[in-house]
Amino acid sequence: MHIQYGKKLKSGPGLLGLYLLIFWAAVALAGFFLTPYAPEAYAGKAFLPPSAAHWLGTNDVGQDLLSQLMAGARTSLGVAIGAAFVSALLGALLGAGGTLVGGSVERLTVRMMDVGLVIPPILAAMLAAAYLQPGSFTLIGILAFFFWPGTGRLLRSQTLLLRESGPVTAARTFGAGRWYLLRRHVLPDLAPVLSAAMIHDARRAVFLEAGLAFLGISDPLAQSWGRMIQQALAFTYLDAWSWWLLPPGIAVSSLVLAFALIGTGLEETHAAD
Amino acid sequence: MLQIENLQVAYGKEEILHGISLTVKQGETLALIGESGAGKTTLGLSLLRLAGDTVTGSVRWQDRDLLKCTEEELRDVRGRLVALVHQNGGEVLHPLHTAVEQVAEAVRVHFPVTKEAAKAKAAETLAVVGLDADRHRLHPHRLSGGEQQRVLLAMALVNEPGLLILDEPTSSLDPPGKAQVLRILESTLRGRTNLLITHDLATAATVADTVAVLYSGRIVETGPCAEVFASPGHPYTRALLRAYPDMTTFKDIQCIPGHASSGVPGCAFHPRCSQRIEACAAEVPALETKTGGRAVACHRGGIVPMLEVAGLKKQLEGRTILQGISLTLYEGETLALVGESGSGKTTLAKTLMGLWPADGGTFRIDGKDGWARHQFYERIQLVFQNPKEAFSHRLNVGEIVREPLDIHNRGPKAERDGKVCRTLAEVDLPSTENFLRRYPHQLSGGEAQRVAIARALILEPKLLIADEITASLDAGVQARVIRLLMRLQDMRGLAILFITHDIALARKISDRAIVLKDGCVVETGLSSAVFTNPVHPYTRQLVEAAPRLHRQ
Repeated sequence: MHIQYGKKLKSGPGLLGLYLLIFWAAVALAGFFLTPYAPEAYAGKAFLPPSAAHWLGTNDVGQDLLSQLMAGARTSLGVAIGAAFVSALLGALLGAGGTLVGGSVERLTVRMMDVGLVIPPILAAMLAAAYLQPGSFTLIGILAFFFWPGTGRLLRSQTLLLRESGPVTAARTFGAGRWYLLRRHVLPDLAPVLSAAMIHDARRAVFLEAGLAFLGISDPLAQSWGRMIQQALAFTYLDAWSWWLLPPGIAVSSLVLAFALIGTGLEETHAAD
Repeated sequence: MLQIENLQVAYGKEEILHGISLTVKQGETLALIGESGAGKTTLGLSLLRLAGDTVTGSVRWQDRDLLKCTEEELRDVRGRLVALVHQNGGEVLHPLHTAVEQVAEAVRVHFPVTKEAAKAKAAETLAVVGLDADRHRLHPHRLSGGEQQRVLLAMALVNEPGLLILDEPTSSLDPPGKAQVLRILESTLRGRTNLLITHDLATAATVADTVAVLYSGRIVETGPCAEVFASPGHPYTRALLRAYPDMTTFKDIQCIPGHASSGVPGCAFHPRCSQRIEACAAEVPALETKTGGRAVACHRGGIVPMLEVAGLKKQLEGRTILQGISLTLYEGETLALVGESGSGKTTLAKTLMGLWPADGGTFRIDGKDGWARHQFYERIQLVFQNPKEAFSHRLNVGEIVREPLDIHNRGPKAERDGKVCRTLAEVDLPSTENFLRRYPHQLSGGEAQRVAIARALILEPKLLIADEITASLDAGVQARVIRLLMRLQDMRGLAILFITHDIALARKISDRAIVLKDGCVVETGLSSAVFTNPVHPYTRQLVEAAPRLHRQ
C-alpha cells in the first residue's frame, strides 16, 4: 500500500474530475491578479452582451462578469479547501485521537460526534451564518464545525481497527505515547480515508458556500457564484440571464462534479487495494 | 567437626585463597566444587600444610589447630588422624611396589607393627574398597585407573582416620570405573567426616551432604547439596550446573561467558555476571546466611527475581480469563508457560505489557512495581507470534529496529543507527544498506522474527516475553531462533518467559515450567520434573500429545 499513492486517479472519472479541479484552481489563482477588470468596479455599460472587451458581458450595474466569475472561483475554492482542512483536522484530533486515548475522552468525543451528526447542516449553517455575519474565515469555521462529525465518525471506525493492529500494539510495548501512535502509525494509515472525507467535505463546502451567498447570508463584500446567481435571477426577463446566470451555474455544478468524480475515483482505487 | 576459619594461602606474593571459612560437621561430607584454578586442591592440601608458602587462619580438628602444629605433630596427624586421597592414582603410586605393600607402608609409618601384620591389615582394607584379592600383589601399572584409585583410597582408609580429604577421586575415571568408585565411596565415607574436592558435580551430588562453591579463592555459596543443586542461589553456581551435562534436564548445556581471572576488584565473578550492579566491582560481598543452612555471597542477595506476579486477575467481556496467576521468573532463566489455546497465555502477556488493564493482582519487575510502568520498557519487552503483522508496512528494517529508540528519544541519530547495526549483528542479521532498506514483505519468516527480536532487544531489556514466537516457523528456522535466544540468555542474562503450546520445544529451552489451564496454574516446577513426571492429569495429557518422531 505504501508505494501505490502515485498510481491513484490514473484513469476514468477520477481523472476527468482532477482535470476539472485543476482548471478551476487555475481560474481561481488567476482570479487573484489576472482579472480583466476589478470585480467590483464599474467596467462599462449595464447589460452588455459578451464581446471582446467583456467576454461574459456585464451585469445590471456594469460590472465585468468574467472578473466576477474568476473572483468567485477564488472564494469558492478557498472556502472549500479551508473547510475541508479544518474539518479534517478536527475529525482527526477528536475522532481518531479521542479513540486512541480511550476512556472518558473517547466517550465524550463520540457523544460530540453523535450530536453533531443529527444537526441538519444547511439549516444550522444558515442560522449560524445569519447570526455571525460572516467573512470567509468565519464561514470556513462554521462549515468545518458542521462537517467534522462526519469525518470524525469515519476516521473513528478506521482507528478502531488500527488501534488493535500489530504495529500499534508493538509500538505500545515499546512505550509509545498516544501522540506518537497518532502521528506515526495511525494518521498515515488513515490517509486514504481522510483524503476521501476531505474531498467529500470540499464538495459540500462549495455547494453550501454558493447556497448561503445565494440566500444573502454571507460576506456582502466577497465575490461569490451564489451571489451572482441570486442577482441574475432578478433579471430573468432579459436576455442577460444567458451570460449572467448560466456561467456561475455551470461553474458551481462543474466544481461540485469535479470533487464528486475525484471522490469516486479515490474510492475505486482504495477498493482495489 | 572440622572448622576452617579465615584461611588464607599464598604462593609468594600471590594469594590463592582469600579467607575461607567452612565447617564440616562430624559424620558429614562436604563437597567443594568449582572450576579448575579456583583453588580447590590448594585448599585441601593446605589443611595439612602441604601447600602454600604462607598459610594463615585456623583449621580446627578435634581440639587442635592444624596450622599451629609443629612439623613433628603434623607428621603424626597426616595419614593417621587426617588422610588425603590424591588425584591421579597412577602418578602418586610408587611403580616398584605392589598395591598391598604401598597400603601396608601407610600403616607402618604410624604404628610399630610387623610387616605381615601391616600387610594383613592392608589386604583387609583393600577388600573393603573392593579390590579383588588376586590383584593385591600387582604393581600399579598392571592396575586399571579405577583400581589405582581404590588403592589410594585404601591407603587413606587403612589407619581409619577421622577426617578424609578426597581430591578429585573420580575425575580421571571412565564412567563405569567412576560408578564403581562412587559406590565404594558412598559406603566407605558414611560415618566419617569428609572433605570432597571435585569439579564433577555428579560425584558431589552422589556422596555429599553439603556443598561449598569456590570461585577465585572465595566461597560464593554453601548449603545442603540437594537444595543447592535444585535451586542454586549464586549466579556462578547456576552457571556451573548449566554447563554440566545432566541426564535429567533437557535444556542444552550453557557456557559461562568470559574467563576466570585473578586480581578482579570486588566480587571476582562480576565481569562474567549478567546481574552485576556498581557495588559488585567495588566491594567483595560477604557470605550471608539465608534460611535452611544456605549462604550466598552476592551483593544482590543471589539470583534476583526479574518478574514476580502475584494473584493476577483479568476479565474480558464478563468472562474470567486469568483467575489469580502467580509466578516468579529469575534473572537469566527461561520459564516455559504452556497450555492450550484459550488457557490465557497471551492474555497474561498482554496484561503484563500494559496492552490490557489488569483487574487485580500485583506485579513486580526487577523489584519495582510493574503497574507504575516507570522505566518499564527498558526492562521488559514482548515478541509477538506473527512478526510481519507487528511491523508497519510503511517502515523498512532499519526504521523498524530503530523505532523503540525513536520513541524514547535515545541519543543522536548516528548513534541510534550504530546501535541498530550492532543489535542486528547480535541476532545474526546483516546490517548492509540493502538489508536495512528492505520492507517487511521482502523478509522471510525467520528473518522477520529475528528483526522482531532485534527490535525488542534494542532497549536492552532484562526480560523478554516470547509469545509463541516460533509457532509460524518451520522446524529448521525455529531451531535457529531458539539457539539465538539461548545465546542471548548466556551473554545478557536475559530472563525469558517462553509462551508456547509445544511441550517438546518448551523442555528444550526452559529451566522451569508453569502449566496453565482455563486461567489457572495447574502445575509448576523444574522442567525436567514437570515434563517427565507430570502430576496433574492435564499436564499428562499435554505431554502425551507432544510431537514424537519415533513410535513407541
